Amino acid sequence: MDTAILIDIVKSGLVLGALYALMATGLSLVWTTLGIFNFAHGAFIALGAYLAWQFSSADAWGLPMVPAILLSCAVMFAIGALLHFLLVKPFERRQDIVLISVITTLAGAVILENGLQLIWGARSKQIPPLAEGAVEFGALSLRNSELILMGLVLAILLCVGLFLRYSRPGRSMRAVAQNQDAAALLGLNVPLYFSMVFGIAALTAGLAGVFVGTIRFMSPSMGSEPLMKALIVVIFGGVARFSSPIYAALIIGQIEAFSVYFVGLYWAPAVLFFTMIVVLLIKPEGLFGKYQRTL
Amino acid sequence: MRYDPPLHKTQGLLPLILAAVALLVYPLVFEATYFRHVMILAFIFAIVATNWDLSLGYAGLFNFGHVALFAVGIYTYAILAKTLGVSPWLAILAGGGTAAIVALLIALPVLRLDGIYVILVTIALSQLIYLVVISWSDVTGGTSGMVTLPTLKIGDYRLSKDGRIGYYYIGLGLLALNIAFLYLLTRSRLGRAIMALRDNKYYAIARGVSEARTRALTLTASAVFTGIAGAFYGAYLRVASPDAFGMGFLTLVLSMLLVGGTGTIWGPLIGAFAISFLSEWLAGFGPWQNIIVALAIILVVVFYPGGLWAALQQLREVADGLRSQTLARIGRRRGKSAREALTGARERMLKTRYGQIAVADTGPTTGAGKPALLFLHGNSACKEAFYKQFRSFADRYRVIAFDLPGHGVSDNADPETTYNVDAYTRIAEEVLADCGVTRVHVFGWSLGGYVALELAARGTVEVTSLAICGTPPLAVVPDDMGRAYVPTAHMVLTAKQYFSREEARSYGQHATAPLSEESAFLHRAVRRTDGRARAYMMTKLSITDWPRQMRMLAEGRIPTAILDGSDDPFLNHDYVAGLKYGNLWKGAPQDIQDGKHAPFFNRTDAFDLTYFSFLRFAENDHMAGDAPA
Repeated sequence: MDTAILIDIVKSGLVLGALYALMATGLSLVWTTLGIFNFAHGAFIALGAYLAWQFSSADAWGLPMVPAILLSCAVMFAIGALLHFLLVKPFERRQDIVLISVITTLAGAVILENGLQLIWGARSKQIPPLAEGAVEFGALSLRNSELILMGLVLAILLCVGLFLRYSRPGRSMRAVAQNQDAAALLGLNVPLYFSMVFGIAALTAGLAGVFVGTIRFMSPSMGSEPLMKALIVVIFGGVARFSSPIYAALIIGQIEAFSVYFVGLYWAPAVLFFTMIVVLLIKPEGLFGKYQRTL
Repeated sequence: MRYDPPLHKTQGLLPLILAAVALLVYPLVFEATYFRHVMILAFIFAIVATNWDLSLGYAGLFNFGHVALFAVGIYTYAILAKTLGVSPWLAILAGGGTAAIVALLIALPVLRLDGIYVILVTIALSQLIYLVVISWSDVTGGTSGMVTLPTLKIGDYRLSKDGRIGYYYIGLGLLALNIAFLYLLTRSRLGRAIMALRDNKYYAIARGVSEARTRALTLTASAVFTGIAGAFYGAYLRVASPDAFGMGFLTLVLSMLLVGGTGTIWGPLIGAFAISFLSEWLAGFGPWQNIIVALAIILVVVFYPGGLWAALQQLREVADGLRSQTLARIGRRRGKSAREALTGARERMLKTRYGQIAVADTGPTTGAGKPALLFLHGNSACKEAFYKQFRSFADRYRVIAFDLPGHGVSDNADPETTYNVDAYTRIAEEVLADCGVTRVHVFGWSLGGYVALELAARGTVEVTSLAICGTPPLAVVPDDMGRAYVPTAHMVLTAKQYFSREEARSYGQHATAPLSEESAFLHRAVRRTDGRARAYMMTKLSITDWPRQMRMLAEGRIPTAILDGSDDPFLNHDYVAGLKYGNLWKGAPQDIQDGKHAPFFNRTDAFDLTYFSFLRFAENDHMAGDAPA
């Protein structure tokens, strides 16, 4: 195989991986902390994209890009916390919380997606690319927008990781995730941190949505495919550490890029799902997971 | 003697037949095609939803790939009937077959997974099937699907003619077959194994139920009619679209399941009709349609986890409560003189904190100055069960009996707080206090026996002697019940909320006497009893301090007699005889020869003689005990 093609495949895999990492982080954060699977995550992605479009587009409010994204982050955080309050918190004490939260978050996703359609209509929109032009590194040609995307994703994930590791609220969140009862006994407000985790997940999903919106046309259901990708990533890598879905996302990105080249655009997702099922059968806790199958 | 109540008789048969007849006749009368179209869709969705309930509700297996099985049925029909030219009828059957095979493939990876992983794997697998369908566009038409599928024909008659009446009846027939299949399945050994695994997995496995095999069978069984319904859907709408794999369709069917109520066949059936019509009615509102259906899901899950079916059950409970309360009200006014003539005692209504209690008391007539004797009746009976004792004991004793709440002509009461042995005992204390009685001989029959034991154990009233009949004392509940009673299906009837006519007769016959002119009032009492009194009696067992009763018997401060019928069909006599008693009359249970569960009614003379001599013994014993003081 030609080296140029190989480099091209790896590059597109990296871009995909970066996007998937951003999508999967919020999902795995909610999973590890609250013990539930949030099916509204895909709707969060779409919502983030639409909010950013609303704030930044010349047809709407026309704010500059950076404040627009910051504003949509804040709104996404608030919406995430609100949805936790409405869709998950009422059932925390119920025994069948796993099934109930699947149902309520699915219903929440339906409401969000149809709400998007009501507010912004079905006509496709697009967020302008982050930057024009390209840079050349020998055989490798990188578009500036791709570079910025990868850089930003790295920065965002680093921020979230550092926040969780070193800041006081971040450490409280990890404490709540590890042992709810002990955290409550130490005086931590468990529902508050649950809401914050949901908010952060929504925020990262919204950012992922912004990036998706710069690449593709936006539609209310634009989040369902990324949701499935995030699901694959989370299951593939497991959720033992904050970083495991990130590694998994990079691997999945490469697998996808290579299978697009070798089996075609249509069959690539099937390859991914197949890989995921194989991983689930052999190592249900994920490639980087520790054995723990209580959920 | 083995007691076998007629549990196999179904009670919902009448509403079912009525509904079936209505559905059969309706298209002959009304010809509105659109309404008929929605009905056909509702039939199909009802099949999908009820089968999904088999895995989700009955098995507790979060199979989110169920809708994909439906889509597999559609595509099987499309490919076989259109591309390969197979007879559409065969293609419909084949839809069930392929769906079952795919279900088995889905089942394999989830055999040993739990909880959320089952959801994720089944969703992933259904997405995988979806992607295969989309990608394999030469065969499946890709994202645009397949159109103009062949319709169903009988000879040259196209079923879509005459306002789709043919599709209507085939859909209805499929639904009926499907319901019969699920009904028989859930009541078979396999069905019981499925529910056992859901309710107590480790216990079921310990009893030899194979989890993996049962799961595989459940998923496969739930696929057959789903696939057939999918194929029929394809034949009806004549399109196969990949939308059937989508989250939107999944949410729609899920809402039918949840709004209807999981874990029953009828809940999803009702839910399918309700949601089909709701969503068709909302079809003109665009995105609002989906939003409202989703909101309905959330509201049901928050406020009404049991769904419509639970609402129906609650309605039934309210109606049954009203029925039995009305019977009590009528009986209170109409039959009072007849009852007083029967017992020879005065009847009055006593206001207690548990509602009005009917008390029969010979105090005002013949009982003045005599020692008091309290009779406590059993489950689903009434105070007149002791009318013969009223006659034979009234010349020496002041005989008192009352109707337990929810029984006889006493009021129905709040089931949560009232229908348990503890509350019954408090009522007995109130009744005795109202009669001005502080020392009393107590006779308790069956459920009343536990009230008698509790009354003696509490010690707020001085119980001078204690006799129980048909009441094996318990210590560890419910474990002891398994030994104390002959393990027959009887235990199901004693706690069953609603009796069919036949069940009521069977219960009345075995608990008291076969239906005759003499015992007719006891059989009427069974019908009058508030069903909740039976149901809550079992669920509120833990309120009572059973070991205290056992300690009281072992300590033996109160002379005690056990006067069981020797032929009592419910009792384990060896268990009763093997307990430790401190002061048991004649040192052993004194069984009444040929007596059944109610020997005082069936073998009155023998019983009265025995109980008489016990009472005399107890009085002498008591005097002897009192003498030194």
